[in-house]
Amino acid sequence: MLDANNLSFHYTRCDPGETPDFAFSFRLAPGECLAVSGPSGAGKSTLLNLLAGFLSPSGGRLTWLGEDLTDQPPWARGMTTVFQDHNLFEHLPVWINVGLGLSPDLRLSDDQRSDILDGLAEVGLGGLHDRLPGELSGGQQQRVALLRSLVRETRVLLLDEPFSGLDRGNREALWGLVRRQQAAGVAVLLVSHDPEDVEALAQRRLRLVEGRLVSP
Amino acid sequence: MASEALTAGKASPHGRRRLTQLPLWAGLTALAALVGLGLGSLGALLVQAPGISMASLWQEPYLAGVLRFSLWQASLSTLVSLGLAIPVAVALARRRRFAGRRLLLRAMELSLVVPSLIALFGLVAVHGRQGWAAPLWEALTGSQEGYLYGLSGIVLAHVFYNLPLAARLLLQELERAPAAHWRLAAQLGLKRRGIWRTLEWPALKRLLPRLAALVFTLCFTSFAIVMTLGGGPASTTLEVALYQALKFDNDLALAALLALTQLTICLGLWGLALSQGGAPSLAVGDGSAPLGGRWQRRDALGISRLTDTFWLLGLALLLLPPLVAVVVAGLGGLADLAHQASLWPALWRSLVMAAGAGGLALTLGIALIAGHGWLAARGKRLAAGLMEGSGQLILVLPALVLGTGLFLLLRPRLGGGWQGYGLVVLVNGFMALPFVMQVLRGALLGLPMAQRRLADQLDIQGVTRFRWLLWPRLRRPAALAMAYAMTLSLGDFSVIALFGSPSAPTLPMLLYQQLGSYRWQTAAATALILLATVAALFVLLGWLTRRLPRYPLR
Amino acid sequence: MNAKATCTLLSLAAGMSSACVMADEPRTLTVYTYDSFVAEWGPGPGIKEAFEARCGDCRLEFVALSGGVDLLQRLRLEGGSSAADVVLGLDMNLMAEARALDLLAPHQVDLSPLTLPVDWEDPIFLPYDWGQFAFVYDSEVLPDPPGSFAELLDAPDDLKVIIQDPRTSVTGLGLLLWMKRVYGDEAPAAWEKLNDHVLTVTGGWSQAYFSLFMNGEAPMVLSYSTSPAYHMAVEETERYQAAEFGEGHYLQVETAAMLESSEHPALARDFLDFVLTPGFQRHIPLGNVMYPAIDIGEERPAVFDRLIEPESVTFTPEEVQANRREWIREWLNASTR
Repeated sequence: MLDANNLSFHYTRCDPGETPDFAFSFRLAPGECLAVSGPSGAGKSTLLNLLAGFLSPSGGRLTWLGEDLTDQPPWARGMTTVFQDHNLFEHLPVWINVGLGLSPDLRLSDDQRSDILDGLAEVGLGGLHDRLPGELSGGQQQRVALLRSLVRETRVLLLDEPFSGLDRGNREALWGLVRRQQAAGVAVLLVSHDPEDVEALAQRRLRLVEGRLVSP
Repeated sequence: MASEALTAGKASPHGRRRLTQLPLWAGLTALAALVGLGLGSLGALLVQAPGISMASLWQEPYLAGVLRFSLWQASLSTLVSLGLAIPVAVALARRRRFAGRRLLLRAMELSLVVPSLIALFGLVAVHGRQGWAAPLWEALTGSQEGYLYGLSGIVLAHVFYNLPLAARLLLQELERAPAAHWRLAAQLGLKRRGIWRTLEWPALKRLLPRLAALVFTLCFTSFAIVMTLGGGPASTTLEVALYQALKFDNDLALAALLALTQLTICLGLWGLALSQGGAPSLAVGDGSAPLGGRWQRRDALGISRLTDTFWLLGLALLLLPPLVAVVVAGLGGLADLAHQASLWPALWRSLVMAAGAGGLALTLGIALIAGHGWLAARGKRLAAGLMEGSGQLILVLPALVLGTGLFLLLRPRLGGGWQGYGLVVLVNGFMALPFVMQVLRGALLGLPMAQRRLADQLDIQGVTRFRWLLWPRLRRPAALAMAYAMTLSLGDFSVIALFGSPSAPTLPMLLYQQLGSYRWQTAAATALILLATVAALFVLLGWLTRRLPRYPLR
Repeated sequence: MNAKATCTLLSLAAGMSSACVMADEPRTLTVYTYDSFVAEWGPGPGIKEAFEARCGDCRLEFVALSGGVDLLQRLRLEGGSSAADVVLGLDMNLMAEARALDLLAPHQVDLSPLTLPVDWEDPIFLPYDWGQFAFVYDSEVLPDPPGSFAELLDAPDDLKVIIQDPRTSVTGLGLLLWMKRVYGDEAPAAWEKLNDHVLTVTGGWSQAYFSLFMNGEAPMVLSYSTSPAYHMAVEETERYQAAEFGEGHYLQVETAAMLESSEHPALARDFLDFVLTPGFQRHIPLGNVMYPAIDIGEERPAVFDRLIEPESVTFTPEEVQANRREWIREWLNASTR
């Protein structure tokens, strides 16, 4: 269970007593998908960055199954973010981009290498392992990113509008990849303004308004 | 299912040894080496000095005058160099294709490293009283007196050295602007003013403080140029006083005090510049599409054709004739030089030493910037600034003081052989640091935020982070930095002269030997070889790193 | 012999010749000198060959520094632990300060073959060559050079000369002493007049001679009376000559001395004995472009007969040591108005 308890954030430095610009509480169970929507500027990116540990909260607590994540660095949280774009290292070929999820220091066994090839084939990218990200379409790039989150030990998958701008066929393939992770017990937080994505994946919905989470 | 097989081999993010502090330790090690060498040698002088009184600085009445003049000429030289470098860089960025552009860029790289005696020869041949430009000057002003001696000559020589350096750095900064911004500017139809305000000036502004500090330091410590062109003892530098104190009068206290004065002024300036933030870099943009793309820039039409021609022609006229004069003089001496058995061993020796110095500078530079980035990312601005600033320490410290101090430190005895060469490599490497750091900084710190977060989340740290994420982006700037560092070491005479040598000269030493015994044509030929070597180095290193590596799976 | 050959080979292979340390290495004499002395075309290589042939089983190793002042400073810094056996290249104006270091030993060489323009009886410093400071002029531009300091000072203002700074250059210091010797207490006034003719004051001789004079920037440059010998003998041109001044020319004597701390004192003495023989001296005239310190008869190149032969003037080394700072300040005051 991911438990965010009054996690708060000030955009500008101010007195500790002042009301934070941003504060929220919610729970997310393993295997569950929670969709968050809201107008632009409501703080969706801030929410994701706080969860991932790219921003430090000014108050509150974040735990996973009782383990305190509040002050953990990004890599120790077991979270993987998939952004709208820039999910891949553009100077490295596809196979290394996936391989880094398997082993951060890129020590890959021969078995793991052939597993990468199989995994790529499975998501419809067979034979493209030596391409650079710039040589793939947007949908293909997102598949690589999701494949990487799949091979990594992920507890929480944070999706930051990862399907926007893609056609129906691509999106359905990507939804499949997300559902597979859910089935394996990964908690998914989806930020999207597209009702179709939300409909396809989410079990629960919340709205973000002026830095606070509310029921829609 | 294949993905299940994959999942079985998952990396656990929890049990790994934390490598995140590697940049910090690398930076601290480099910092310790620098401060140890720099302050250690200065300290050695202070310890040896019998008694130090600040008052002795003012007992020599002319010292205050020297200081005033040094500040004045260095400020003026910096102002003129940068003031002219800006329009030149903007024009170069706007004109991406014209005959001779590559040649001009190459020549800009060369000017930095021409040994001062050779540069002086070229400048005198062009601008002197009997120079190529003299008839023109006389026709214009009716004066036979010329402009090469006195403040105008000093500024001219410093501009010759520093304008190309500054313009080159500024040009790279302009070219780092993302292609998307240029597309946007083109779509909006921005004209000269608009482009200047939205794209050019913000890019240049980031670089200017550091660049000004670098140029000022180079001008403030310039020795041969100021003395030769100054016209008399009224125009000298602190270094002359230092030389006198150290060599003639054996007044270590005064020497250390003078060095401290120089250190304070220049480091103070660096502190000011570093606190301005910004990320200057000589690095080629981060893989984004080439600036401007295929379309014609709107501001490249109309009146700017005329002004750009003016600036580029001006740059060529400043830069090329003195170099041509050296080449012409050198061609005459090539036949003589071919008979000198010591030439090729000297060249080889110089190259080996330069490679050592270049490698050292590169390693230290990367370590310092990595450490700086680590600290800056954690909000420790002062510590980060100190770490970056320490890279400038050795350039700011007079070579004479460094050499003497090291000598005192390494007493009782410093052999004339390998140790001497080793020390020269060490000091050269440290002296090249400010240049190397200017080149590398942007590339090392410029890992885009999105990629940095990705790397953090995937727990790619330490050596792997360097090997796979930074190095591929760093290869090109590193090659350029290496070329600069090697060239500085190749052209260096001041340091090698300090330690002496067992009758086996390096290329610049050979050159000075030739000058010391009237063989000035042969010396010019040696200079020509030196220039050719430097040019070859830039081309070779650039060529070796032109393409991104592809890393095939098998 | 064999060991020596191997050693040389090793150094060649490494691209740098440094002291090879070997068990049965022959005695090595280390000589500190200045860099143009050891150049390929300088006197160094010939002297090394001749001395090694003479002593049989020894090696002569030169360590080159930038100039006489650097030699003095190196001795000062190294003190009693210097690697040098002999130091070659301290001129008269540095003698007093070098003597005061108490690091040098008497040379014990018979001085009777000396043919210097002055008497020489110094027990420590052994002269090996000499010359005089002089203004060298370009006869194509200045067919009629001044014949004295007085004429130079009174010449029209457009006669320009290039001089060197006495604080950083041996020739510059030479001119300072020369003017002081000629004008005494009137020197500041003379400097003020001379300064009207000074195009610029360079830091070293090389900048003045190479960057400026050879580029035709001024028709006269402060140099040595022997400079024309090089142009006449090697470049075969009569164009550059030295102007002879009626007041006399300041003398420059370069000396060798051995160190008290030498590990091979006998070998060092051998070397000093060798200094005043034709085997050493024949390399001086064209190698170092100075007068040899003894009469070497026919071996002196004929061009040396065509040089000016003015009277020599000097201060004693002790006078120089005692007054140099004061005189430099005097020059600064006269030159910075």
